[in-house]
Amino acid sequence: MEFNPTIVAFLCNWCSYTGADLAGTSRMKYKPNVRVIRVMCSGRVDPTFVYKSFREGADGVLICGCHPGDCHYQEGNYKCLRRFKLMKKYITQMGIEPARLHLEWISASEGKQFAELIDSMTARIKELGPSKIKTVVETLAI
Amino acid sequence: MRSMEEARIGVYVCWCGNNIAKMVDVELVTELIGKLPHVVVSKNYKYMCSDPGQELIAEDILEHNLNRVVVAACSPRIHELTFRKVLEKSGLNPYLFEMANIREQDSWVHDNREAATRKAVELVAGAISRVQYHEPLDKRSVGINPATLVIGGGVAGMSAALEVANAGREVYLLEKTEQLGGMVSHFDLTFPYLYDADKMLEVMIRRTINHPHIKVFYNTTISEVHGYIGNFETTIQSDSNQEQTLTFGNIIVATGLRPFDASRVGQYGYGRLPNVITSVEFEDLLRTGQVRTKEGNIPQNIAIIHCVGSRNTEFHEYCSRTCCQVALKFANQLRSLLPDSNIYDLYADMRAFGKGCEELYTATSKKEIIFMMFDQQHELPQIIKSVAPGDPPMLIFFREKISGLGLEIPADMIILMVGMEAHPDVKDIAHAVGISICSNAFFIEKHPKLDPVATTTSGVYIVGNCQGPKGIPDSVAQAKAAAARVLATINQGSVHVEVTTAEVNETLCCGCQTCIMVCPYTAIHYDREKKVSVVNEVLCKGCGTCGSTCPTGAIRSKHFTDQQILSQIDGLMKMALKIE
Repeated sequence: MEFNPTIVAFLCNWCSYTGADLAGTSRMKYKPNVRVIRVMCSGRVDPTFVYKSFREGADGVLICGCHPGDCHYQEGNYKCLRRFKLMKKYITQMGIEPARLHLEWISASEGKQFAELIDSMTARIKELGPSKIKTVVETLAI
Repeated sequence: MRSMEEARIGVYVCWCGNNIAKMVDVELVTELIGKLPHVVVSKNYKYMCSDPGQELIAEDILEHNLNRVVVAACSPRIHELTFRKVLEKSGLNPYLFEMANIREQDSWVHDNREAATRKAVELVAGAISRVQYHEPLDKRSVGINPATLVIGGGVAGMSAALEVANAGREVYLLEKTEQLGGMVSHFDLTFPYLYDADKMLEVMIRRTINHPHIKVFYNTTISEVHGYIGNFETTIQSDSNQEQTLTFGNIIVATGLRPFDASRVGQYGYGRLPNVITSVEFEDLLRTGQVRTKEGNIPQNIAIIHCVGSRNTEFHEYCSRTCCQVALKFANQLRSLLPDSNIYDLYADMRAFGKGCEELYTATSKKEIIFMMFDQQHELPQIIKSVAPGDPPMLIFFREKISGLGLEIPADMIILMVGMEAHPDVKDIAHAVGISICSNAFFIEKHPKLDPVATTTSGVYIVGNCQGPKGIPDSVAQAKAAAARVLATINQGSVHVEVTTAEVNETLCCGCQTCIMVCPYTAIHYDREKKVSVVNEVLCKGCGTCGSTCPTGAIRSKHFTDQQILSQIDGLMKMALKIE
């Protein structure tokens, strides 16, 4: 059977979630592999949300926030960016390919960019194959 | 974990007519979801947001003693409030509700019914899992400062200011330049009825500056606004370099647009050829009452070119909405002023829409104006300066679109109908008041159809051209609509604001103060006696950055708690694996 990855995405309410909605109102088509969770700001994305997603079997995790300088809460996206770099290192040490975690800035007007992002990320994760971390954790019974 | 009554959840899957039902098997979603723990009822209905749809939820809440509700429908940005109100009316706290977006982020973006249905099931499962951990939140009511800030002193800004002030409320009107009037102060006559723009504006300006409830600030821009609906504050710097702090409850943004820079379209020769002028410059010429070339001669051949900078992907994709009508107005005025001249109107499409405008077109076409069509997207006309003695000073080469013929038109004067575009400082204004701009740099309204003058920031409204190009009647209508919204808010005396702020669990707080460093609103301070962080709920805007930073988990972002989001992840991932 063809591998159909599941991608959990955390979208900020003001820019990225609105951008994703715009892709819908513009009837753009993209791959059905993403599951969006709305947060008020990308700065709210707690590392545990990312680890939990992988732990429960997500093959990829996407975080989207407002473009630098455009954050509705002034600078939450910068905090997210710093945290993202640490999370990348951390998941690598846990044995998760860093490419499975992705950060992108999507504005409220970038419906098209959001649709393209989901397609390209889905293709990348498909190439990587299923994430094994859930099985690893359960085998080791951690 | 807080003690919790057992969740009794009602789930409602919306068809949205065919919008969702066409791509998502709503029956299957309802069936699969109905088997999940805590789900007491699971139903689908044609339009959940309709009155019968809302009643369905209200009846079930009573009949089945529900204490949580999930609606799978459109984006929560559209109808979350609608459904929260249903809960409230039925005696449930409005926050015991969660929405799953299966339209904008599912049925509308996929073309595989099976995959879209599966996605819907997973999203709803996530929502069900999340809603179990929702907590009742108390509404917070804040008083409304009855003063209003209007940014921009054009027709839209003044109309809004006058409407609010006529109701006896104070208005601060900020104008960037040294005079009121905006773009309209450049106009001679207005379309389609050829009224004198000056007379209209004069009356409006006089009323504005003499109004006892309006205070106008000239040469003033805005850099930063603090606060929230009902309680905004800003410090302005006027031309005399004096700082003044203003407080107000609502903001109406009316910053307008500016004319497109015609020199960007190289082949039109604007800036190089003295008798190629923009429509704005031609208005100024008309106001002198004498149409003459730069050399002072009466022009014999005059050409008007439409869509300069508009409807062309190289410049602006959008239509500026007013230029065709202004061009028709020019043709009329030229015909009256210069009865013997040749007038050529080169258009891409004649968009004379709206009340009285098609009539203007019909009337104009009977006045010996030569209308010709060109291909705006692929072959723009070319303007050259003629060199041969005895030739007319300029020639326009272009392919007439209907006949396909290459034509050559002589011209002594060429008027470029420039479109409108955003001011270069539009981002600064968006930042200052906390609203968004679209890809064309116009401000984004809360809902394009149902809430066209509000924005996603409560208490901030957008009117006139800054929301998108439009003529005077539309700008005035928007201005008065926003004024009505503002007055309604003021009359209520208070508004409910979001209560999704952060709170500190003092038992868990270790006093590291990391949260204080990351808060962009200085909403958290340190209680030295208790050695814990304390959140000021009035200043907190609920971004949640402190919540994800707190090392001990002492800070909870209300309605976006760790537990709620982790459960959502859990719910949707478990369902994803189950379906596999």
